[in-house]
Amino acid sequence: MKMHKIADIEIQHDIMVANRKLADKNQEILDNAGVFSVDVLGAIGSGKTSLIETLIEKMDHKIGVIAGDVISKFDAGRFEKYNIPVVGLNTGKECHLDAHLVKHAFGDMSLDKIDLLFIENVGNLICPVDFDLGSHIRMVVISVSEGDDTVEKHPLIFKDADLVVINKVDIAEAVGADQDKMVADVKILNPDVKVIKSSLKTGQGIDDIINSIENFMKE
Amino acid sequence: MHELSMADAMVKTVLDVAEKNDATEVLEVTIEVGKLTMLNPEQLKFLLDVLIENTLLEGAEINIVELPVKVKCNSCEYTGSADMDGSDHYLAIVKCPECGERNVEITAGRECNVKNIKIEKEEGDEDA
Repeated sequence: MKMHKIADIEIQHDIMVANRKLADKNQEILDNAGVFSVDVLGAIGSGKTSLIETLIEKMDHKIGVIAGDVISKFDAGRFEKYNIPVVGLNTGKECHLDAHLVKHAFGDMSLDKIDLLFIENVGNLICPVDFDLGSHIRMVVISVSEGDDTVEKHPLIFKDADLVVINKVDIAEAVGADQDKMVADVKILNPDVKVIKSSLKTGQGIDDIINSIENFMKE
Repeated sequence: MHELSMADAMVKTVLDVAEKNDATEVLEVTIEVGKLTMLNPEQLKFLLDVLIENTLLEGAEINIVELPVKVKCNSCEYTGSADMDGSDHYLAIVKCPECGERNVEITAGRECNVKNIKIEKEEGDEDA
């Protein structure tokens, strides 16, 4: 006779931990290839793509870019003009990159030809927070036009950041944003993080961003 | 909004374990979600209920347990719960509940764990 039995089964499968393990492997791959990587996070329209373009022009490194987007061809197309290794990552419906997607992108990226990799995350201050990609640093880019309460409203992304860029400060007055309040708000959450006020239009802060990334590369 | 992909990953995990254990039915699933994850438990529950239709999990009771935030203070050595009465849970990542200093590390609250399941299975034919 068949007997029915109830069984409790312990699973303990943490999706965040699984992602972190993949992220650690990604960093190992990058380290073995001698590539330093920067996860570039930030709001939609904060200037992530333009900032990376500026860094490609100004930094004396062999740069590659993984451009993550819901539809990736637009940003990837902008980077391709610089004749550097570019991989567009289509997330489809997803609001963030994860370590698994990035590992796939490594397969299409000539890691041996670069020493600095920018991974442009999907424009979003919420979802990417949960997913470590295995990058060496996280650079968060916001702009004054998103409002000077942006930092307070999204604390966790700033708590985790290694470098924060507050962009478009040249128009702060026009949009009525208090740029110093934004800097102070970041410092409350993350007292030791470097916060740089920048404008890609005037060039303010660009050298500071480059120096900061290079300092991290030396560490 | 990545509740859908998380819910999908959870259902796949549970189905995989249930099948490996020869479950005929999954009765209960317990999932732990840290309060600092960018996941809304209500949305997660809704999506799980939709995703389990027509699977071995259909009808299972889905328990979502929210896990509290814990911090470690590098100023006063406080470790433990970051519960602060009446405040929203983000305050804890800003200030140590003990000494009020800002130098706190998050040690828990970012989990998204498929903890355990209760299944029904058929035992072998005992008359044989």
